[in-house]
Amino acid sequence: MSAASLPYGGPSLDVRNVFWLLASMAFVVAPHLERTPAWATIFCATMLAWRAWIAWAAQRFPSHWIIKLLTVGVTVATLYSYRTFVIGRDAGVTLLIVMASMKLLEMRTQREVVLSIYLGFFLVLTNFLYSQSIPLGIYLLFSVWFFVATLVGFHRVGRTPTMRERLVPAGLLLLQALPLMAVFFMLFPRIQGPLWALPQDARAGVTGLSDSMTPGNISQLIQSEGIAFRVRFEDRIPPYQTLYWRGPVMWNFDGRTWKASEFSRAATLEYSKAEKPVRYAVTLEPHGKHWLFALDVPATAPPGSSARDDLQLRSVRPVDQTVRYELTSYLDYQYGEKLAGILRRFALSLDEDRNPRAIALGRQWRDELGGNATAIVNRAFQFYNREFTYTLEPPMLGERDPYDEFLFETKRGFCEHYAGSFALLMRAAGIPARVVTGYQGGDINPLNNELIVRQADAHAWTEVWIENRGWVRTDPTAAVSPLRVEGGVNAALGPIGAMNSLIAADKFGVLSRLRYAWQFANSSWEQWVVGYNVERQRQFLTQLGLGLNIDWRTMALWLIGLTFLIGGAISLGLLVRDRPRRGEPSLVAWKRFCAKLAAAGLVRAPNEGPLDYLARVTKARPELEPDASEITRRYIDARYGSGATANEIRELRRRVRAFKAA
Amino acid sequence: MFANFRQSVSDWIFRATVPEAPPVTLSQRRIFILPTRQGYYFAFTLLLLLMASINYTLSLGFLLTFLLAAMGSVAMLHTWRNLAHLRLRPGPCPPVFAGEAAHFGVTVETPSRTRFAVAVRRRGEEPVFADIDASNVTMLSMPVPAPRRGRLACGRMEIFTRYPVGLFHAWSYFDFGLTVIVYPRPDTAAGPPPTHSRNESEEGIPIPGDDEFNMLRPYHAGDPPRQIAWKALAREQGLLSKEFNATASSELWLDWNDARGADPEARLSALTHWVMEAERLGQGYGLRIPGMTLPQGRGEAHRARCLEALALFGDPKPQ
Repeated sequence: MSAASLPYGGPSLDVRNVFWLLASMAFVVAPHLERTPAWATIFCATMLAWRAWIAWAAQRFPSHWIIKLLTVGVTVATLYSYRTFVIGRDAGVTLLIVMASMKLLEMRTQREVVLSIYLGFFLVLTNFLYSQSIPLGIYLLFSVWFFVATLVGFHRVGRTPTMRERLVPAGLLLLQALPLMAVFFMLFPRIQGPLWALPQDARAGVTGLSDSMTPGNISQLIQSEGIAFRVRFEDRIPPYQTLYWRGPVMWNFDGRTWKASEFSRAATLEYSKAEKPVRYAVTLEPHGKHWLFALDVPATAPPGSSARDDLQLRSVRPVDQTVRYELTSYLDYQYGEKLAGILRRFALSLDEDRNPRAIALGRQWRDELGGNATAIVNRAFQFYNREFTYTLEPPMLGERDPYDEFLFETKRGFCEHYAGSFALLMRAAGIPARVVTGYQGGDINPLNNELIVRQADAHAWTEVWIENRGWVRTDPTAAVSPLRVEGGVNAALGPIGAMNSLIAADKFGVLSRLRYAWQFANSSWEQWVVGYNVERQRQFLTQLGLGLNIDWRTMALWLIGLTFLIGGAISLGLLVRDRPRRGEPSLVAWKRFCAKLAAAGLVRAPNEGPLDYLARVTKARPELEPDASEITRRYIDARYGSGATANEIRELRRRVRAFKAA
Repeated sequence: MFANFRQSVSDWIFRATVPEAPPVTLSQRRIFILPTRQGYYFAFTLLLLLMASINYTLSLGFLLTFLLAAMGSVAMLHTWRNLAHLRLRPGPCPPVFAGEAAHFGVTVETPSRTRFAVAVRRRGEEPVFADIDASNVTMLSMPVPAPRRGRLACGRMEIFTRYPVGLFHAWSYFDFGLTVIVYPRPDTAAGPPPTHSRNESEEGIPIPGDDEFNMLRPYHAGDPPRQIAWKALAREQGLLSKEFNATASSELWLDWNDARGADPEARLSALTHWVMEAERLGQGYGLRIPGMTLPQGRGEAHRARCLEALALFGDPKPQ
């Protein structure tokens, strides 16, 4: 018996353990740094360095009053940098980061270490408030791994564990946790949040259309590669030039800005349907506003939303998480043959003082063409077609009469210039007109036949009201650049941004295929992970065949059952690995070899070593020599040599099995 | 609070503590497991994470929460498994003097993997940790204060682990009935052993010593090697010991009546000191205490016999 290791005291705050914790903290905080104020970053780095120095040089911890002073200081600094008295999302996250880094300075005992690590798990969660993308998810999975590895390190005693001795057990724990996590994710009854009021800035920085249109604001949006929504059509995809996704409709006009009106009311849609409807499902990214996008015109409003009399769909709650809705639309329709007097007046209202030249031009057309609406529209189209250029970089326009400047001087513009000026001309010519913003077209992913509509597909067009025909879509941009409507903004303008120019240069389509694969992964991730909500859960469980009206009790039962099943499987796996071994495998094989020889009359004496035994065997039975010496050599190598690999053991066993002495 | 609760539950489960025959293998049935205080904090953290995920509808927050929850449940298995199938045997429990720390030894073997951070403790005392290496036998030696002479019983011991993440405490109890003999505290103020001879009346009676060869007698366990009659052994007469007579002048009796002290304990302390001194000087000595007389002798075994007699004088209550 030997005392192989000396007894130790309990787990301790070893220098390397502390470093692991500090590194994990730095790792999880890193994605926040682009958002937090500079002082917070510097403060965090200082705290980490200070704590590292305390551990490294065995320095004293700062006294309690310094910590208290710092706490008050950083709280005031945080509130001051966000100019707020309310702890919103950004201020809250900043505060949490600086507090967590300060907590490290109080970390003297095992208990405080553990609390710091739990705080680290919270910091992981705060990252998700800003993004739930695949790369960030992977990054934070690593950060959880590092925290668990740190936790493992703190529970070792004696010798400081190596990196492998931390990472392997932690990785094993997480790996074995994955199936249980998946089951919980799918089956844990989802509750529709929020449980309490969200701070104002919880959804800040979401891009999308706004409820007003000034020349220039859509062209900013168009630079964004962000996805607005995805569409899956039930059967065929309608022709590209009919893909007008309606968003906010703008009636109010002050001479420069078009604004969505509060005038539209909930209404049951009345229109004549002319052809077969198009059925499709839209997965809309959060944009923080109320409208839902649909091809005109939707037959019914999806649950939780209402249709307005100007064909807008408005969700009851703001769209601040990914939503999915199914729709049926008629692309060939007549709508609004009767226009109430008040609406008519509203659709003709103009500020006579602004853009006088444009108004004069409209009036001139009305007089020349005798008020024939179709003729006036055609005249306007010709006007645009002859002299205007479609560009993403239009010249700046003045504040007072921007459309005059655009129509008669610069003549270079983007869809919002055309839509805005066209509606103005129509109103001046006595034709009721309004601006519709939304998206046009999209990008078909050949991998799953899904239409991806990006912010870059944002568009603005107009609708004019014509006697006996109702509201008719007129898109002046099509008159200037037919390619925009038929082939998308890239076709009309050439590729935008570095990614697109790469794709344009890629002759063999490898990049674009990669891009589609990435989009496919992203879309599945968005749909099944990020967008997995109450409805998706219901849908998924129905597809699994758990019944249509699955309630939380059934879910809980399934959850408990599967948890036990998986837990049982894991413990069984561990138990099998733990089963005490029957003995050294090489020894077992060699004993079998001896038994075979014993059966042939050559019994090994208890004190006879393998080599002596071999000598006696070869003397008695020279013909067995080659096999017997090979087996003995291999056995000695495996047992007394440098050890044997699984393959060598297998080979030894095979030779013993093949060995015949009788 | 939970610790107390756990203690009373386990007391109820292990009502009778019968010393067990070694080796004790920690089978699945005798390992218990409950969350630690850290484990409860962890559960609370998970609850907060879950609420934040619901409130902000963070799907990845749900994933994080469930990953950590599943990690915790898997950790329970790992903690349990860190203790399972360990084999325990009693280790050395050497005697000590009162006032020193007694050490109860337990050896631990693992049949498979190395087990990290396994600890042994007696109730209410600091645990002793060690890694149980797969290729070796590990000895854990548990210090226990021994304030009074007599027999110190170790009683029930707990072997536990919290590895790998400290969320769970897996433990088992075992009791080998280990005892340590605690000698009286030597009273260094008692001076050198008294050298006067009190046995003139018994002159002529040979007293075992080692000055003058007397006779050969059968070997007794504990006889020093230099007393063995090697020549007799070589003549195949069996194992015999040479017996010497001590000369009356060097004959030393450590007598209860010579030891001064207010109470028996003080006398025992003085006698203990004398035994140590006599042994240190290489003198033969005998011990006379009420109810027991140990004949003249010398050497490690003799000293141990004397000290044990002093330790157990008057049959003190086991501690």
